[in-house]
Amino acid sequence: MNAHRRITDPVEGMAQRVAERVVDLVLNAVDLNAIIKRVDLNAVLAQVDVNALLAQVDVTALLEKVDLNSVLAQVDVSALLDQVDINGLLAKIDVDALVRQTDLGAVIARSSGGVATEALDAARSQAVGLDQTVDRWVQGALRRKRPAPSAPRALLDGEDTPPAPPSDAPAAPEPDAPAAPEPDAPAAQPSEPPAREAMK
Amino acid sequence: MTPRIPDKSVTAQGNYAGSVSRFLAYAIDLFASSAVYTLVLAAISYVVQIVSGKQVSWNRQDIVVVVTYVAWEFFYFGYSWAVSGRTFGMAVLGVRVVRADGAVAEPWRGVVRSLVFPLSFLLLGLGFLGILVQRERRALHDLIAGTAVIYAWDARAARLRFLAREAETARIPPGG
Repeated sequence: MNAHRRITDPVEGMAQRVAERVVDLVLNAVDLNAIIKRVDLNAVLAQVDVNALLAQVDVTALLEKVDLNSVLAQVDVSALLDQVDINGLLAKIDVDALVRQTDLGAVIARSSGGVATEALDAARSQAVGLDQTVDRWVQGALRRKRPAPSAPRALLDGEDTPPAPPSDAPAAPEPDAPAAPEPDAPAAQPSEPPAREAMK
Repeated sequence: MTPRIPDKSVTAQGNYAGSVSRFLAYAIDLFASSAVYTLVLAAISYVVQIVSGKQVSWNRQDIVVVVTYVAWEFFYFGYSWAVSGRTFGMAVLGVRVVRADGAVAEPWRGVVRSLVFPLSFLLLGLGFLGILVQRERRALHDLIAGTAVIYAWDARAARLRFLAREAETARIPPGG
């Protein structure tokens, strides 16, 4: 037995050294980058069950190791907000539904206006309606080919300073976003686009 | 019954004001300015009676009354248009005077507008026809003074108030 080991141990050691040397030589001779480039990573990843992999990850433990405050401190919020179309975002808000369905409506109802304001709103709105009715009659009688401008040039194009805003001046209506017609209101006049920069 | 504020009132803001709004505004102004003038005359009569003991009566045919009334009307309209672009009646109806291009009207335009305003009457009222038929709804005095009249009331807030009242009414249970 001892004689047998005396022969095999040196041979094994030699074989080990030879193998290591061969591997070194092969690795030095092979361009690993070129081989990796030839590997189809997509095919490899397709065989990986990512969900099973992720199921093993303890996200909570992972997040506990992350200092979120330091990460957020590095975020340039201004640059981030610059990329957000806030006007577009706000345009998507249905203010009418917001007022109808939330407590905001109750707040507005309780904080603004009494009977006088209500009467004034109604009188002004009625007058606008009558104005438009009379205008439709007149325009129909005159049979104009070209529609008359609906507002002064500065208020249509925003080329000039609009009139000094009164305390109750409204925001400018969007020209390309016509308001939905009231169920019992007469149809809006198509020949009259709303003023773009009216009374900012 | 809550008055309905349709969207058309909101979209009309900044547009040329129509004949009904302008006529109603003028009627309110005429009533308000005449009422103030009458009150002032009454106050003068009262003071004169207290001081001198003489009864003072004002006659419509009295040249002093006519001249001071006309001067007062010029002042009432001219000052209002020059300072704020709107009279009391225009504020009630939510319309205002601007320059023809839509910019803020200079004070001198307000004064000129009030001075030439009677011309629209003197030509058998034809001067006012422009409000109906002129493309920019400008009367004769607007054309001379280089002004226009537009809607300028907060219709958006009025509509929100209307919706809020409507929602509030809907929340109240019947009999509650």
